Amino acid sequence: MAAMAKISEEQVLAERFRRGENSAFDRIVERYAADVAALANRLLGWPQDVDDVVQDVFVAAFRGLRDFRGDCRLRTWLFTITVNCCRHYRRRYLRHARWIRRNENAPSLCLSEDAQIVAIDAERFSRVRQAVRALPTKYREVVVLRYLQGLETAEICRLLTITANALNVRLNRARERLKGDLNELLKEES
Amino acid sequence: MTEERIRELLRDADRAAGPPSFGRVTADGIQRRIRRRRLVWIAAPVAAAAMVLLAFRLWGIDARNTPPAPEQRQQIASLEEQVERLQAQTDATLRLVQGVLAEQRQQQRLAALEAELASIPDPLAELEKQTDKTAFVLVYQADRLYRELNQTDSAVEAYEQVIRLFPQNQWAEVARKRLAEIKKQKIEESKTEGDSKCGLQNA
Repeated sequence: MAAMAKISEEQVLAERFRRGENSAFDRIVERYAADVAALANRLLGWPQDVDDVVQDVFVAAFRGLRDFRGDCRLRTWLFTITVNCCRHYRRRYLRHARWIRRNENAPSLCLSEDAQIVAIDAERFSRVRQAVRALPTKYREVVVLRYLQGLETAEICRLLTITANALNVRLNRARERLKGDLNELLKEES
Repeated sequence: MTEERIRELLRDADRAAGPPSFGRVTADGIQRRIRRRRLVWIAAPVAAAAMVLLAFRLWGIDARNTPPAPEQRQQIASLEEQVERLQAQTDATLRLVQGVLAEQRQQQRLAALEAELASIPDPLAELEKQTDKTAFVLVYQADRLYRELNQTDSAVEAYEQVIRLFPQNQWAEVARKRLAEIKKQKIEESKTEGDSKCGLQNA
């Protein structure tokens, strides 16, 4: 029921925008900007500053919202744009991403005991993120959408325009790769 | 390593990374951004074309600066001769065309002047028309004074004015006739008055 109400509200916002109300677009941004930024941040490998991508996503949304037919949820539609923008960005800013990776792997300074625990945790999570970043785009996308965004199978399939079978295959392969990459970490944990 | 464990690890790693930062997005800001991009899309190809043109120009200057071989010199000399000949032919043709065009323009100007002249009315005829009109108006007013208002003296004055001002006009002739009529009438009136006086005296 709540989902239905949300969909109809989304349609109302889209319709208001189509009639030239910029405030409707501001409302859409207000509602979805954080989700879009979080997804972009995860898909791009946690660079933290995702302003350019978010701006590009909403530029594309501004241009395309008049043609939005309401076949899917507005959030799904915005996520599709985000995925496409991130693919584009990864191709374009690969060198920049590498530079970020190098910086993140820089050796840490001498720390106190408490700080060392924090640093160990940070190192652990950094390795997890590194493993996700190392995945090929098509595997990274399904991992982010399923495990971090928590989207349903149907929504991911619609978003990436793939079948449920293809999604399961990609998820299995991504998990296998992650297991391989994080094996040492798990052994250390145990 | 279960799916659930992977999910946990990923979520913890994501949480540890912290929330992303991004600037404020507004519809107005987006519109400005779109306009700026459009400007860049237009300016970039124009700048590229200008650069290419500049490069060609520089390359041309560079090519001219390098000394040619003797065979090439001969070829260049013959080509230059051909170019000069063609240039002379072109100049002659151009002059001819310019002459024909100038003549055409002159004829057009003459035709326009003739048409303008034809449209201007003959000033003498116009003057005559105006004179005729004035004389007619004066005679008409004099007629009214004489016939309708019975002011014979004023009418006589007006008729005389017409005869004095426009002696050759057709309306001056009319005025003369009217004056003759008035004189005749006056004589008749004085005759009848004289007869009646004599009758009274006899009686």
